[in-house]
Amino acid sequence: MWHNVWAVIRREYLQRVRSKWFIAATIGGPVIMAGLLVVPAWLAVQGDRDEFNLAVVDGTGVLYENLAPRLELGGFAVEEARWHSDVVTELRQRSNEGELGGFVMLDELTLETGEAIYYSMDVPSALRQVTVQTSVARTALEYQLARQGVDPESLMGGGELQVEVISNAGSDVRDPQFAVAYMGAFFLYMVILLYAVAVMRATLEEKTSRIVEVIISSMKPSELMLGKIVGVCAVSLTQMAIWIGAVATLLIVAIPMMVAARPELANLENLVEIAPGPGLTLLFLGFFLLGFLMYSGLYAAVGAMCNTDEEAQQAQFPMIMLLVVPIVMVAPVIQDPNTPMATGLSLVPLFSPILMWARVSGGGVPSWQVALSFLLMTLMVWLIAWVAGRIYKVGILMSGKRPTLPELWRWIRAA
Amino acid sequence: MSDNAFAVRLEGVTKRFGKHTAVDDFHFDVPRGVICGLLGPNGSGKTTSIRMIMGILGPDEGSVSLFGESPDVARRSKVGYLPEERGVYKKMKCLELVTFLGEIRGLKRTEARRRGGVWLDRLGLPQWADTKVEDLSKGMQQKIQFIGTVIHEPELLILDEPFSGLDPINQDVLEQIVRDYHAKGTTILFSTHLMDQAERLCERVCLISKSKKVLDGNLREIKASERRGIVAVEFEGSDDWIHGPEIDRVEDVGRGLQLVLQDGASHQPILHRAVAAGVNILRFDLVEPRLHEIFVRHAGDAAVGDAGMPILAGSDHEVATSSHTSGRRGS
Repeated sequence: MWHNVWAVIRREYLQRVRSKWFIAATIGGPVIMAGLLVVPAWLAVQGDRDEFNLAVVDGTGVLYENLAPRLELGGFAVEEARWHSDVVTELRQRSNEGELGGFVMLDELTLETGEAIYYSMDVPSALRQVTVQTSVARTALEYQLARQGVDPESLMGGGELQVEVISNAGSDVRDPQFAVAYMGAFFLYMVILLYAVAVMRATLEEKTSRIVEVIISSMKPSELMLGKIVGVCAVSLTQMAIWIGAVATLLIVAIPMMVAARPELANLENLVEIAPGPGLTLLFLGFFLLGFLMYSGLYAAVGAMCNTDEEAQQAQFPMIMLLVVPIVMVAPVIQDPNTPMATGLSLVPLFSPILMWARVSGGGVPSWQVALSFLLMTLMVWLIAWVAGRIYKVGILMSGKRPTLPELWRWIRAA
Repeated sequence: MSDNAFAVRLEGVTKRFGKHTAVDDFHFDVPRGVICGLLGPNGSGKTTSIRMIMGILGPDEGSVSLFGESPDVARRSKVGYLPEERGVYKKMKCLELVTFLGEIRGLKRTEARRRGGVWLDRLGLPQWADTKVEDLSKGMQQKIQFIGTVIHEPELLILDEPFSGLDPINQDVLEQIVRDYHAKGTTILFSTHLMDQAERLCERVCLISKSKKVLDGNLREIKASERRGIVAVEFEGSDDWIHGPEIDRVEDVGRGLQLVLQDGASHQPILHRAVAAGVNILRFDLVEPRLHEIFVRHAGDAAVGDAGMPILAGSDHEVATSSHTSGRRGS
């Protein structure tokens, strides 16, 4: 038996992994995403590198000392120009001769409002503008704070918010990470649906092309169904492993490198802090795996009982509803993860992948609930496999019109 | 003979689809080692019978056995089954597909691949090994599927309309392969609506019409018992000797004459008269009835005509095999 199942898994896996679609989605997806994030930043960084000699005319007499290092960090070569009545004319001339890329004028107003004038030979890039603007404003703020006797370092570092969850339900107290909860829930919805539908389509294709008649002559329908599901599952895990690997590489290697090269991109470090850790990632994979196994069983049964794509589109409607309910509930559940309704819904096995994930990744869910949801989902996988296997066994060899619900019930009992 | 002497045995099998009875009280045996043809017009129940033999459909009444047992996976895996509808994985490469089909029938991957390569060579497709199946012509896809059917060297081949859709050259190739398997002792059951093909290949035939069996048995015995006393003669000289009490009528068929004998009459006295008359006999043949005639005789013209089978004008008429393959439908 295992020889056959293995052959089916292997075929399913290789055919899919080698397909252009898989390569495009797997490799292309993250590359395009990373490209959209990284390339403009990189280009901006590269474009501005060492092209810039910037003169600073410090009318306040107190800012240059602290401003210069900031601008230098931002990639400018800085020099101070003493103020005199013709300084603008002189610096313009030097700029025209190509000696300077531009110059910045600071005056008393700068100290109060952070305003400054930036004369530039070309239209400055947004990054360059921001660098100059924030450097000037921060230096001015720092100066003012220091005059008040306040420690500018910690205030200007953006402060720090320490979150303590005070309800005693929390077993796993951590910063609420709404973005991760939201994005993860939608991502789970997408991949579960995507791959469950892939199982349905594969089943339908085998049925309509009648190759299933040949395959069934050497293995049981349940073995074929198992092989299909495991094969598609292996494909999905491969794809996800590549994606997770790509994101991890981006976060762990690429972003720190970029930040090291360009400190003004320090905001990117926030991404690293938001990103889910290994524990949460494993939990995500667990929810995906069980969610996929439940839904792919249902979708395999749908594929087996239909004869055309159109029929299958209609017949998968109940399954779509089962996935849409938790998606609609994601927002309220993330807001209030521990209401009885949120707890109850997230323990319904077919909703758990999305709703329990939404609660868990937000934090503050007792471990026993997570464990219980995994137990219930596992039981559900067996139940679905049993029911779907029976429908599959009859349906895959059946032609003619789609069965009605009473007929389905007869299939399940008869098989 | 024990049950196991039969590769296939159907006992009183009936299958209904709604109000339509597709197969009606069908008794049918295929002894091991024979080539057996399941013949009948389109829609007569051939494919339904075959699908029941393969366990794809369950009979409503009666029983089906393969090698003396119920047609479960263990039994079915000893069968090479070519369904009427040509199912393939279109996106797979040819060699991959036949390798996969070998694998699920228990061959090791390397062995399945090796045999697949040998078969592609044999059927003249080696250059297509790495081509996707969907890029092949229908006929070539059919050959690929045939390879998948025989790659595990099954004990029993069940081929549903194996020749339809192939050009005459490839029909010959396939026919030769079927003969080779027969020579090796493989049991072969195939369905066809082409009587000529069946006549050339089969040892046993089973004729069905309108869901019912008409006739089955050893082809030679059937023909012998159906012989109706027609003698074809060619000769040089006078024809005075022909007429006698045995002769019902004489037909001129261009080359020579056909002598239609009275019921139960022997041809022997005619031969004696010819020898006595001293004519130079070039041919003196007992004309065997063609399968088609037997079929028509038993099933009636109406059944045959309805289904688009050729109706023969003369008894010795050759039917071109390729001229009536159209209109194939699931039966």
